[in-house]
Amino acid sequence: MDPQQNEVRALRAAANWRGVRVLEIGCGDGRLTLRLARLGAIVEAIDPDADSIRLARRALRRALPPERARHVRCRVGEGEHLDFPDESFDRVLFSWSLC
Amino acid sequence: MVHALREARRVLKPGGVAIDLRPAMVHRRVKVMRAGLAQPIGALRERFDDDRAANRAVARVLGQRLFKLEGRQRLPLDRCMDGLDDFQAWLDDFISRGNKLRPHDWLVARVARALGPAPRRRGSVVVSGPLDLRVLRKTDD
Repeated sequence: MDPQQNEVRALRAAANWRGVRVLEIGCGDGRLTLRLARLGAIVEAIDPDADSIRLARRALRRALPPERARHVRCRVGEGEHLDFPDESFDRVLFSWSLC
Repeated sequence: MVHALREARRVLKPGGVAIDLRPAMVHRRVKVMRAGLAQPIGALRERFDDDRAANRAVARVLGQRLFKLEGRQRLPLDRCMDGLDDFQAWLDDFISRGNKLRPHDWLVARVARALGPAPRRRGSVVVSGPLDLRVLRKTDD
């Protein structure tokens, strides 16, 4: 996927990700979650599909060093009912999910 | 969708940013790469009803001044698959995600022909279609 890395380049250009709290909505199997983590973000990733969340957790465990992996959490959730307090994130990313 | 954007606004810190990243409303094109040559195969015939609804939702929250559109860009994206099985699996998944595609057996058959006869099929399948990225800045209350 994305051999030219255009997606990552565009995300990097769109905002600063290092050290900021990010909510990723529709993380799927964690493809973009991994990229956000590598950009230095502190990520809460949600997806309504429990199987996808399992895949994402496994992929992130394998791909990230432990000190980075502890800054990423994946859980089942929907964008229309966010179980997070007000004003708790610097960025919200709709990952192919606003449609 | 408007509700999801409102929820995003609620959890964003003041001045925070929501990013809407999704495939553009463009039919994805399929090609086969074999021995260094690209062979165009055809295009998916997606429906874009949900994308139009998402665009309306974004327009609505912008109109309500809940967010300010700070930037947008379109970027090319290729998905490379190892062969026919991978392509078929991707297509099945794509359809199952509510993309409301009609059967694309004709496209799978064309890809199979381009890859050569089984079991000596060689080459990769590339699905190309741009992504749209919108940056929405949370406005002050």
